[in-house]
Amino acid sequence: MGYIRIERAVCKGCGRCIVACPKDLIEFSDELNERGYQVVTYKGSPEECGGCTLCAVACPDLGIETWNNRGKQTFETTTGLTEKMTHYCPGCTHGVVHRVVGEVLSELGLVGRTIGVAPVGCSVLAYEYFNFDMFEAAHGRAPAVATGAKRARPNTIVFTYQGDGDLASIGGNEILHAANRGEKITVIFINNAIYGMTGGQMAPTTMPGQKTSTSPFGRDTEDTGMPIKVCELLAALQTPAYIARGSAHDSKHTVRLKKMIKTAFQHQAEGRCFSFVEVLSTCPTNWGVSPNEASDWVADAMMDYFPLGIIKEPAKEPKPAGAKA
Amino acid sequence: MEATNVLMAGFGGQGMLLAGKILAHAAMAEGKEVSWLPSYGPEMRGGTANVTVCIADRPIASPLITTPTSLLVMNLPSLEKFAPTVGAGGLIVVNSSLVHRDPKREDCRVIKVDARNVASLAGTERAANFVMLGAYVAASGVVAPETVEGEIAAEFTGPKARHVPANVAAFRAGLDAGRVDAENAAPQEQDA
Amino acid sequence: MTKVLMKGNEALGEAAIRAGCVHFFGYPITPQTEVPEYLVKRLPEVGGVFVQAESEIASINMIYGAAGTGVKCLTSSSSPGISLMAEGLSYIAACELPCVLINIMRAGPGLGGILPAQSDYHQATRGHGHGDYQLIVLAPASVQEAVDLMMLAFDLSERYRNPVMVCADGMIGQMMEPVEFPTEGAGEPMAENEWALTGCEGRERRIVNSLYLSPEDLNEHNKKLKAKYDLIAEKETRHEVYGEHEGADILVVAFGTMARIVKSAIDDLQSEGVKVALFRPITLKPWPYKAGRATMDALAPDAPVLTVEMSMGQMIDDVRLCADGSRRHEFLGEAGGVVPSPEEVAAKIKSLL
Repeated sequence: MGYIRIERAVCKGCGRCIVACPKDLIEFSDELNERGYQVVTYKGSPEECGGCTLCAVACPDLGIETWNNRGKQTFETTTGLTEKMTHYCPGCTHGVVHRVVGEVLSELGLVGRTIGVAPVGCSVLAYEYFNFDMFEAAHGRAPAVATGAKRARPNTIVFTYQGDGDLASIGGNEILHAANRGEKITVIFINNAIYGMTGGQMAPTTMPGQKTSTSPFGRDTEDTGMPIKVCELLAALQTPAYIARGSAHDSKHTVRLKKMIKTAFQHQAEGRCFSFVEVLSTCPTNWGVSPNEASDWVADAMMDYFPLGIIKEPAKEPKPAGAKA
Repeated sequence: MEATNVLMAGFGGQGMLLAGKILAHAAMAEGKEVSWLPSYGPEMRGGTANVTVCIADRPIASPLITTPTSLLVMNLPSLEKFAPTVGAGGLIVVNSSLVHRDPKREDCRVIKVDARNVASLAGTERAANFVMLGAYVAASGVVAPETVEGEIAAEFTGPKARHVPANVAAFRAGLDAGRVDAENAAPQEQDA
Repeated sequence: MTKVLMKGNEALGEAAIRAGCVHFFGYPITPQTEVPEYLVKRLPEVGGVFVQAESEIASINMIYGAAGTGVKCLTSSSSPGISLMAEGLSYIAACELPCVLINIMRAGPGLGGILPAQSDYHQATRGHGHGDYQLIVLAPASVQEAVDLMMLAFDLSERYRNPVMVCADGMIGQMMEPVEFPTEGAGEPMAENEWALTGCEGRERRIVNSLYLSPEDLNEHNKKLKAKYDLIAEKETRHEVYGEHEGADILVVAFGTMARIVKSAIDDLQSEGVKVALFRPITLKPWPYKAGRATMDALAPDAPVLTVEMSMGQMIDDVRLCADGSRRHEFLGEAGGVVPSPEEVAAKIKSLL
């Protein structure tokens, strides 16, 4: 029989796993953990869970491990992340994307070669969570920092992890030119349509009509323009690149997202090209909704405007001799 | 030797900066202290371009010279701007192909060289800058002509080496022009 | 060693290579553009890295990235570009990363002009980015000294893990003078160390970071930095005294190009019997206060101190700090690319006697 183990201490009570479970086997308990969150609990009988991992994939806080019917562990926490509990709000998908990046680097055997660059924004403390060498960059400058690091140490795997204010607003020039030079780095771009760390101001990717603290009547596109589609903007550049947009709002999309992120790092590991993955993400706190409502809002309000998929990929080429996967 | 501070001025493209560089190289090859300080910036493009070369036996303090000991002028604006700044007893070499006005400096030796014509006769009109340099070297004696010729050869290397003979010829023609004109120009100053 | 005739900007680039720096990130700006133009041709010969960045903001952050991985690296700019680098410099200093930047100063403020000036003295010694940090600032007065100070700059930056600025002006950058390089070929790369990010295989992971959310931790960090700056101030000041200062009737203080012009004035005045000397700080930060004060104390009792700058008066603040009320201060300065001539300096000196 399959089963899951919920780490009560790290649970933030976001409830994403409850929605993720296809068999409806998880529910909120009546208990609060030491940090005051109402933790989730397994409610089904032991034989019902097949260990499908979707709850664990949805969890932003490394709070669930799963086993299948034969007793084999199907989901375990990655060595790509430290054990430090994140500071992210309940239901924030930063934790999900951190985990996916950590898993990919671990699965590709790249952790020992990786240098990450954290941004300014909610993920400013990413250097505490990624379990490898890390920079903390100035606001928007991560692609330039990554350029310097990668050019100086071409054998390392260098990536930036940036939010929409950092990358699409203050750092617009740095990302444009790093992409156009074809820097052999990977960029993970978190688009949650709002400034999180400063408390919910309008971002370059804020949706038309979306209320934020600096667009209190809804984003007026006559005054502020339309949300910037960064993938499409970068895809207009001629320089070969891998550009994709995924979403972390639910487990199904997160599984696809992981493939994109894996492909992005593989391109870099094989010395191929600049690679870029945008991730539609949630900000329940600043959107003023519950974590699961936030996931729905990504699907309902964002995905039409920011279509998912591989936007651009390098032309097929014969594998260079001696290249490692 | 007294310090030599020579200002070389003309339009951008007339080759004064290059002539100054060759002079600085030659003086350096003869063991002198040198500095080469150009004007720079947007005025280089089609405007006036000038360079100050300082040559001395001891380290050069200020490379910025307000009262040059010598002046080479390729065009009228340079003459009008810089002729009044030359120190008394100084040397002024004027490109008479383009400059028809007199510097009006009775207290200086003035040598007029039809640089374009001389260069043309020597093989290439474009080497007027080296004619001017030759005239100046002959009149001033600041460096040996052979040293300058060596530096011209050293400057043009690779595919540009084909320019060496014409430029050296122009320089030699300039030497002759400078010697002849120097004999005619204020002999009492020469003796001093 | 043989002498070669070289433009200041090109000599600065070559000196970096001789010092073992083969990583350059920069953006064109007059009057320093010959630095990147020289290095883009020269670096491939030594297996180096050259990136023309999209802006000075990017340049300095590329330096942050490269320096953080433990390689010697260089950027170069001129006044307005240095303003754009302010943010990055603060981060680099906070993270204690070694790097060298060249500032070929031009006239400001604003877009100003492209002619030589010294009006970024405050910026270099007090200004640029936010927070309690310092650069080491070296001010050459000749092309040869520019080369020598570049070698020193890489040495100091690595030893103290701090950015070092070689601060010259457009005249030094554009001028050609004979130079000798102290080493052959490309120098040694940066030594292995315990802080560079290189991938954590086989060791504990490392973090290059300037964020300290605990005030106590940040206070400690600032105290550690201050102790380092104090050590640098104690050990690394450099200066030159020109002319006989014992009993002199006036002392001139000037740096860089301006100091050379003052030397010409002093040469002329000494032949007239005027007792005048020059004090030239070579390190603008740390400023050689002790040596400056000792020089001032040896002057004739009422001798004034004349500060001459290619600005409206910035270093004079340090000269005043140095004198600490012991001397009368006078100033001569021009800005905008207008450079006081030896004759003007000499006239000013005479007027004060």
